[in-house]
Amino acid sequence: MPTKITMTVNGQSVTKDVDARTLLVHFLRDNLQLTGTHVGCDTSNCGACTILVDGHAVKSCTMLAVQADGSEVTTIEGLSQNGEMHPLQEGFREEHGLQCGFCTPGMIMAAVDLLDRNPDPSEQEIREGLEGNFCRCTGYHNIVRSIQYAAKKINEPKKAVAS
Amino acid sequence: MHLKGSHQFNAPAHQIFKMLMDADTLARITPGVSELEETGPDTYKAIANVKMGPVSGSFSGQLEVAEKQEPESFVLKIQQNSKIGNVAADVKIDLEETGAETTTLSFDGKARLSGLLARTGQRVLSGVANTLSKQFFKALEEELENPAHQPA
Amino acid sequence: MTNYIGKAVKRVEDKRFLTGKGRYTDDIVLPGMLYAYIVRSPYAHAKINNIDTSRAENMDGVVKIYTGKDIAESGINGIPTGWQVNFKNGDTMKEPPHPLLVADKARYMGDGVAVVIAESREEARDAADEIDIDWEELPAVANAKKATEDGAPLVHDEAPNNKCFDWELGNPKEEVDKAMKQAHHITTLEFTNQRVIPNAMETRAAIGQYEEATGKYTLYTTSQNPHLTRLLLCAFVLGIPEHRVRVVAPDVGGGFGSKIFHYAEEALMIWCSERLKRPVKWTSDRSEAFMTDAHGRDHISKAEMGFDKEGNVLALRVKTHANLGAYLSTFAPCVPTWLHGTLLQGLYVTPKINVDVTGVFTNTVMVDAYRGAGRPEATYLLERLMDTAALEMDMDPAELRLKNFIPPFDGVEQPGYQTQVALQYDSGNYHAVLKRALEMVGYEKFRKEQAQARKEGKLLGIGFSTYIEACGIAPSAVVGALGARAGLYEVGQVRVQPTGKVSVFTGAHSHGQGHETTFAQVVADRLGIPLDDVEIIHGDSDSVAFGMGTYGSRSLAVGGSAIVKSLDKIIEKGAKIAAHKLEAAEEDLEFAEGKWTVKGTDKSIAFGDVALTAYVPHDYPEGVEPGMDFSSFYDPANFTYPYGAHVAIVEVDKDTGYTKLKRFIAVDDVGNVINPMIVDGQIHGGLAQGIGQALFEGAMYDEDAQLINGSYMDYTMPRADDLPSFEIDRTVTPCPHNPLGVKGAGEAGCIGSTPAVVNAVMDALRPFGIKKDLEMPLTPERVWRHMQG
Repeated sequence: MPTKITMTVNGQSVTKDVDARTLLVHFLRDNLQLTGTHVGCDTSNCGACTILVDGHAVKSCTMLAVQADGSEVTTIEGLSQNGEMHPLQEGFREEHGLQCGFCTPGMIMAAVDLLDRNPDPSEQEIREGLEGNFCRCTGYHNIVRSIQYAAKKINEPKKAVAS
Repeated sequence: MHLKGSHQFNAPAHQIFKMLMDADTLARITPGVSELEETGPDTYKAIANVKMGPVSGSFSGQLEVAEKQEPESFVLKIQQNSKIGNVAADVKIDLEETGAETTTLSFDGKARLSGLLARTGQRVLSGVANTLSKQFFKALEEELENPAHQPA
Repeated sequence: MTNYIGKAVKRVEDKRFLTGKGRYTDDIVLPGMLYAYIVRSPYAHAKINNIDTSRAENMDGVVKIYTGKDIAESGINGIPTGWQVNFKNGDTMKEPPHPLLVADKARYMGDGVAVVIAESREEARDAADEIDIDWEELPAVANAKKATEDGAPLVHDEAPNNKCFDWELGNPKEEVDKAMKQAHHITTLEFTNQRVIPNAMETRAAIGQYEEATGKYTLYTTSQNPHLTRLLLCAFVLGIPEHRVRVVAPDVGGGFGSKIFHYAEEALMIWCSERLKRPVKWTSDRSEAFMTDAHGRDHISKAEMGFDKEGNVLALRVKTHANLGAYLSTFAPCVPTWLHGTLLQGLYVTPKINVDVTGVFTNTVMVDAYRGAGRPEATYLLERLMDTAALEMDMDPAELRLKNFIPPFDGVEQPGYQTQVALQYDSGNYHAVLKRALEMVGYEKFRKEQAQARKEGKLLGIGFSTYIEACGIAPSAVVGALGARAGLYEVGQVRVQPTGKVSVFTGAHSHGQGHETTFAQVVADRLGIPLDDVEIIHGDSDSVAFGMGTYGSRSLAVGGSAIVKSLDKIIEKGAKIAAHKLEAAEEDLEFAEGKWTVKGTDKSIAFGDVALTAYVPHDYPEGVEPGMDFSSFYDPANFTYPYGAHVAIVEVDKDTGYTKLKRFIAVDDVGNVINPMIVDGQIHGGLAQGIGQALFEGAMYDEDAQLINGSYMDYTMPRADDLPSFEIDRTVTPCPHNPLGVKGAGEAGCIGSTPAVVNAVMDALRPFGIKKDLEMPLTPERVWRHMQG
């Protein structure tokens, strides 16, 4: 029995009929063609499907589409503003934080949330913050550097204003 | 997976044995079992619903009582199939009278799992088996105390 | 600026991945596409008495259900293997059929039995649940050594004792036995190099598309080598015309070996689509990936190394049972033989070596190449022996290695080093990498700290590993003689567009390695043009002439060299056009900085003008064809031999057995480096996988050959907080036999790291005395039990 749901995805309002059992990740990929959000497992461990729901990182395979009714959703496709890369996107490029790119969208979205909660994390805090996201390519070394790069970039203008 | 355990009951062995041979009682006290139908001498068709951690499934299959030695022991042969995998088990059940009105029931056997059940359930299953056997013993105990007990 | 080689150029492919615009196979939706779900055996070994699909067929959305019987009746072949390794007595290896879906019996848990095709993924899955199969379970075996014992369950009736082949390499056994008799000390280890599961983050997927009107087939697939898949699909499995088959491997989310092979699902999707006249997509879920992706390693070995009184190695004797799984995957027979036995010289001058390998069928999923493929197993064996021998002989493990290293040679002035196990190493200075690693560790200082820590009851340990690998796979004539059924050259086509922009077509697929950047650096440098003017195209058999794909750290050494060959042809032709335009003799010209200049003058013509002239040949040299487009096949003269030294420092918690990896130092020599940032990234990733095997990972089978840790809740993947930041450096010894002087970097980290970690844990446990060896993975429980005695 399809249910009508409405949510804001990357700033745009969408209304669709979905099956009650449709997972949010499949809704994004299949109904909205937002294939930047990936499915890497079926046990909610890998984090490849991480997105932001109302500003918080959520594994979109752990949520039904109907549960996101009325929410504000941000996926990797909606992260850059006015054609300019988000500091995390820039950091991943500058520090070679990605190889095959499959875990990258989830990794970046998890990192957005991480930096939101802790704008100046230590290496250990970054590593712990990424516990729910697997990467098989990078050994995480450069992912940590990428997030440090972004933290620095985000904090610099704030520090400049403060001083 | 190895299944092993024991429990002491305040009842003579023959009383317990009789109860365990009664399909209605068994269906009542075995956790998860929703249907137990006698299909022949000492063979039953069973339907059970079990939920364990990440794995839950509806099982159906056969139950057989073999090597009956009243009132000391018997072997329970279980073959249960489900969409999430199958279970095959042979469990020996021993009843030993440890006093005038006390009997120790012990079981020892092996369950073999396949499919999703083996792949993702194994880790949590021995815990589940423990819980289920505890529930079973508790229900049997209540049944012994109040043989006329019927579910509401 | 045209100086790109050696620079950490940021990757050109990153933008699409960072903005969610990567295009992976499962992202592709074709008009009218159907979805397939494969019904798989829940048993490791079972006869199929009956399959009843009647209920499933009537369910919503179901279009068709095919079973193994339908496949058998269609008369197609099964999946072939690409390598033949015969028995010692000359008998042909056992090569039982590997059908796309089995009709009579399943031989591993996950063997495909039926395929449901429906209008949606969910409907296909729902219907699959309603298929009733009458199974008759048979005894099963997962352990390779047990499988060879008399009375063990037989995976294939035609392979007695489950033996696929037995194989031997090196010096005659008698010579090795004799050398062993003269040994002052013999170190013996018996261990399992456990089975690991590759776990590329993107699961496998395949879309088959048959267009009736054109008779054209297209396969979109998660492959490391689309051309090889096409060849096997057409010539061996389906017998369909290769020129009407297009295989596309779009963006691929990691492979690590597991996506080299041609899998049944690829052929199955084409087969289904041909019948249904609609595209059909199959996407593996993670549970399915655990069961059906080819696994890696799984060797059971006994290894003995004999030493004289001074610690010089006299001889090495190795006996290995290699698990091949239930069927032969594409490279399966060569991994435990020609990629394992040939590396047992290591970096040492060992004068006598004999290795004996039995390839064994078991009721498990196929085992094939996984990052390193055979070479990690060889390295693990040698390096565990070295550290154990040092301990037993009371010598320093670093010194023992330095004492036994092959002396430096550059492969130009000094000849290559001929090993006892068939290979000839190209060039190397093995002392240099270990010495640099010791320097980075601060070895003497560390030993003092360790002594102090031990006094305080802390279990601090250091472990070494040095390795060599044979990469740049491979000289075709050599591998042909060794049983390969394909050539292992690579193809590189360079098409200069009329405006001087350059399209490069390579058969080496990129799935994380950054070919689109590294290859562009090579091309831009050689032609003296901006990097932006170069586009690297790969992964589509309709665009790229041919190719053998990406594996064995071969892309740059073989694929890059093929491109260089084409670049040379471009420059040679360009010189003819330039000479004509400049009215000078060809030999008076020099090509640099993107232009041809008449030597000693300021007369020159730019690359772009020459390109335009080639396509607008109004004023043109006689006898020269218009256009500028060259394709080259490069077949390497030899393997390349990267090497390195890795050092791990660990602290083991006395109470819990938990191993904390405190530092990891890696010094690798991968020859010349085009993009150091990308090479470092390759090393990092390899290290994580090698460390993963040492500490966390391992497929577990129960006695019924059921995989019991087939999910991320049960199989431990290395996570960010399990690993330290890596300390890496390199030395550079160019490869003497390819134009770029490169050796390959993809597998190095994974080959060297595993034994270093295990050696470090054993060193940490030294206060508990030398005890039984520890088996990987070194989980806290195992280490704790070991400490309890």
